[in-house]
Amino acid sequence: MRPVIFLTLAALISAALLATVSDFTREPIAAAKAEMKRKAIEQIFPFEVENMKTVTKGKSVFYEVYDSENALRGIAVEADTDKGYGGTIEILLGVSPEHRVIDYKVLSHLETPGLGDKIDKPKFRKQFHEKILEGPIWKVHKDGGFVDELTAATISSRAITDAVQNGLEQINEHYSNTAEQ
Amino acid sequence: MKESLNILTRGLVQENPVTKMLLGLCPVLAVTTSAVNGLGMGLATTFVLLGSNMVISLTSKLIPDTVRIPSFVLIIATFVTIVDMLIKAFSPELNQSLGIFIPLIVVNCIILGRAEAFASRSGLWYSMLDAIGMGAGFTLSLLLLSSIREILGAGTIFNMPLVGEDASTILVFALPPGAFASLGAIIALMNALEKKKGAAA
Repeated sequence: MRPVIFLTLAALISAALLATVSDFTREPIAAAKAEMKRKAIEQIFPFEVENMKTVTKGKSVFYEVYDSENALRGIAVEADTDKGYGGTIEILLGVSPEHRVIDYKVLSHLETPGLGDKIDKPKFRKQFHEKILEGPIWKVHKDGGFVDELTAATISSRAITDAVQNGLEQINEHYSNTAEQ
Repeated sequence: MKESLNILTRGLVQENPVTKMLLGLCPVLAVTTSAVNGLGMGLATTFVLLGSNMVISLTSKLIPDTVRIPSFVLIIATFVTIVDMLIKAFSPELNQSLGIFIPLIVVNCIILGRAEAFASRSGLWYSMLDAIGMGAGFTLSLLLLSSIREILGAGTIFNMPLVGEDASTILVFALPPGAFASLGAIIALMNALEKKKGAAA
C-alpha cells in the first residue's frame, strides 16, 4: 500500500508545481510569441515600421504597415504550405502596396537541419524580391519555374515557392492593387 | 576534499557520459547540427540533471524500492517540463531550434542513469557535484561535436560565417551520417590519446 500512496502523493506535488510554473510563464510565453512576430515584420520591411495594424479578413491574418503620415507602406500576411519535407511550413510574407514581394520570414518549419532549413537564408529569399503573382512561373527550375532550388533540398524549395504564392493570392484576394489604379 | 574534486572532474574525461559511457546518444546525434544547439541542449540537460539529482538524493530514503524507477521518471519529467516552459517564455530563439528535443530529455538515459547509480545512494553535496561534472562533460562533448559539424557542414561557427556564402560545404556533416562519423572519430581520438598516455606512464 505504501508505494501506491507515495506515488500518488509525488504525482500530486509535481502537478501542483507544474501548474504554478505554467501560470507564471503563460504571459511571458504569449509576449515572446507576439514579440517574435513583431520582430519578423520589422526585419521584412527595409524601412522603419512606424505604425502597425492587425486585420483579420476571413481566414487570413494581415498586418498593415503605415509610415508616420499614415500612408500604407506594406502588408504582411501569414501564409503556409503543407508541402514541406517535414510537414507544414509557416511564413510571414511582406509585400509592397503594389503587391510586389519584399521579403519573407520563416515562422516555423520542420525541414532537415543543414539542408532544408536554408530556406530562410538571404541568398534564397532574394530570388522572390520584387516578384508579382501574375507573370512569373511559380515553380522551381527543375519544374520550369524561376526559383533556383537549394542543393539537396528541392522539396523544401518547392514548398517555400508554394507558400509565397499562397501569401500573394491571399493579398490579391483582399487588397486592391495600387499599381493598377 | 579530494573525493569532491574527483566526483566533480571524472565526468569530463575519464567517465564522460558521451565518449566513454555512450549514454544519451539520441539527443547527442540529433541536435548537434550547430554549436548554439549543442550548447543549449547541454545546458538544459545539465539543469535537469542537477535538479533531479538533488531531489532524488534528498528523497531516496522515502521512496519505496518497488516504485523507485517510476518515481525517478516522475521527478525528471517534472523538471523537463519546467525547463520547457521557461525556455519558451524567456528564450524563444532557442525554443525554435531546440523545442522538439527538450521533451526528449525525459528519456535521456544519462539522467536516469545518474539517479539510479549515484544520486539515490549518495548525499546531497556529492550528488550536486556529480550532476555538475556529468553535465559539464555532456555539454563539452556536445559543443565539440556540434562545432565540428557546423564548421564542416555549414561553414559557420555560432552562426558566424567562416567561408563565403557561395562556398560549398561538406553537406554530409549536417546530416545524421555525419553525426555518427564525427562522434566515432572523436571517440577513436580520445581512446588513442588515452592509450598513449597509459603507455607513457
